[in-house]
Amino acid sequence: MTGKQRRQFWSAVHAVLILVAIFIMLVPIVWIFLAAFKTHVDVYQLKLFFTPTLENFDIVFDDPYRLGQKLFNSTFVALVTVIIAIPIATLAAYSFSRFSMRGETMMLVIILATQFVPAVVIILPFFVMFRDIGLLDTRTGLILVNLAIVMPFAIWMIKGFIDGIPMDTEEAAMVDGSSRLQVIRNIVLPMAAPGLLTSAIFCFIIAWNEFLFALILTNKEAVTLPIGLALFKGEEGDLWNLLSAAGIIIMAPMFVLALMIRRYFVQGMTMGAVR
Amino acid sequence: MRDNTLKYLLVLPAVVVVFATAIWPLIEAARLSFTVGRLNRPGSLEQYLGWENYTWAFLEEPAFWNSVWVTAVYTVLTVGLTTILALGLALLLAPGGRLRSSAQTLLILPFAMSPALIGVSFRFMFNPEFGLFDAFFGVLIPPLADVSWLADPNLAFAVVVMADVWGWIPFLTLVLIGGLASVPRDTIEAAQVDGASGWRVFRDVTLPQLGPVLAVVIILKSIFSLKTFDQVFMLTNGGPGTATQTLSHYIYFNGMKYGQIGYSAAVAWLMVIPMIFLTYAYAKFVFRKD
Repeated sequence: MTGKQRRQFWSAVHAVLILVAIFIMLVPIVWIFLAAFKTHVDVYQLKLFFTPTLENFDIVFDDPYRLGQKLFNSTFVALVTVIIAIPIATLAAYSFSRFSMRGETMMLVIILATQFVPAVVIILPFFVMFRDIGLLDTRTGLILVNLAIVMPFAIWMIKGFIDGIPMDTEEAAMVDGSSRLQVIRNIVLPMAAPGLLTSAIFCFIIAWNEFLFALILTNKEAVTLPIGLALFKGEEGDLWNLLSAAGIIIMAPMFVLALMIRRYFVQGMTMGAVR
Repeated sequence: MRDNTLKYLLVLPAVVVVFATAIWPLIEAARLSFTVGRLNRPGSLEQYLGWENYTWAFLEEPAFWNSVWVTAVYTVLTVGLTTILALGLALLLAPGGRLRSSAQTLLILPFAMSPALIGVSFRFMFNPEFGLFDAFFGVLIPPLADVSWLADPNLAFAVVVMADVWGWIPFLTLVLIGGLASVPRDTIEAAQVDGASGWRVFRDVTLPQLGPVLAVVIILKSIFSLKTFDQVFMLTNGGPGTATQTLSHYIYFNGMKYGQIGYSAAVAWLMVIPMIFLTYAYAKFVFRKD
């Protein structure tokens, strides 16, 4: 083979490998999307061509599954978690970014470290406490523990965004007589707004997908969507067409949100260890 | 207000929240781990027991050691496989172009999927009657046709590992593509001009440059592998038997199903110890001077 032929051969091999990788990545997702529109019978026959039906979506929102209630719980819990976390995290992130404090590195390391504490460790004391004060199976309880996983991400991510905003506008405004709080409100917040929205979406996805806390803390009233998946385990086995319909309701909104902020996903997850 | 006071006031709410939601539970779990700690026995959560929960785990509980073993094998396999496959995929996708950048966009999808749902979807894919992956493997490796994947201890373990690798490859790939972009092009070209083969360039130029990013990725993935719960719960619920029971699942089971809060808090704290080392290693990368 000449050099040119060899290059062509390898670029063809690469293209095939990429297509295989895409295929493997997409198949489980596509399969759920298909099964959600299949009838019970079609699921069991590995069919690629079938008459699509919306019946499954009707069933999951009806008794006894009542997925609407879980959808509301998931949305409410994730939304309120984010609404509490983002302002608190923004103030802290600004301070970490602009000032040097005694014990600052220590604080940042501890905040980073809390992200790595296994959820199962955090939940044991909370379960005992919530049982005593009546917060089991409530959305309030779930929001409180969700803050544990969301806050560290939010602080680190927003700090990254504020670090990227140049300080000179702020300093100029301070010289003109603005107070620090005015500077934060009038200059930093508008400039950081896209970053704050990105962080909010990121935290929303994490709270939405959270599983272990909701599994342990809820059983009826405050059940979220991922826990709702367990409903579709009938006596005769898994009801795959219904599971898939519920699966779409869980993942489709997150796909849309994730695509909106995909450039920041890596930065958010690694908390600034990879730039 | 002076900045000197303000700067502490600004971090105060966040510090309070982090303390209340993460530090307090850690301390309280440590306290519980030294008590009798039965959920159904009032007062036992204050009944001091000394180190007995810990010695019980070490000396009397084969199931504890089983979950340590399962978690260790699981962590080594998922970290190794995910890193190698993601590195390969990152090298394939890094050059850019239309096909490659659409592939990068698609990579975000599995990553936005709830791990619990990934567990469900893999149970679906490996269903012996109508699972698509089950059918693939049946054709590729005939002895695997008609096996019941989740009923066999080794195969069930393999499925749990595959689900995890599938879910994490996209994220690691995206991080590594970022890392590859920062490898200086002229160094690579210089090596190519000198007549180095593609493999030599990768081994002697790209890989050393990628070192720090690879280290971050491996530490991060190890942390998440050690904690694994969601997929396991949805896929196998630890079974068959205890073949896929990770530490998190073991703690959940003892604490929530058997109500042994004290004992499960002790095991949970044993799990925190490796995390401290990993977090320390991770923090070094976050705070390194550029």
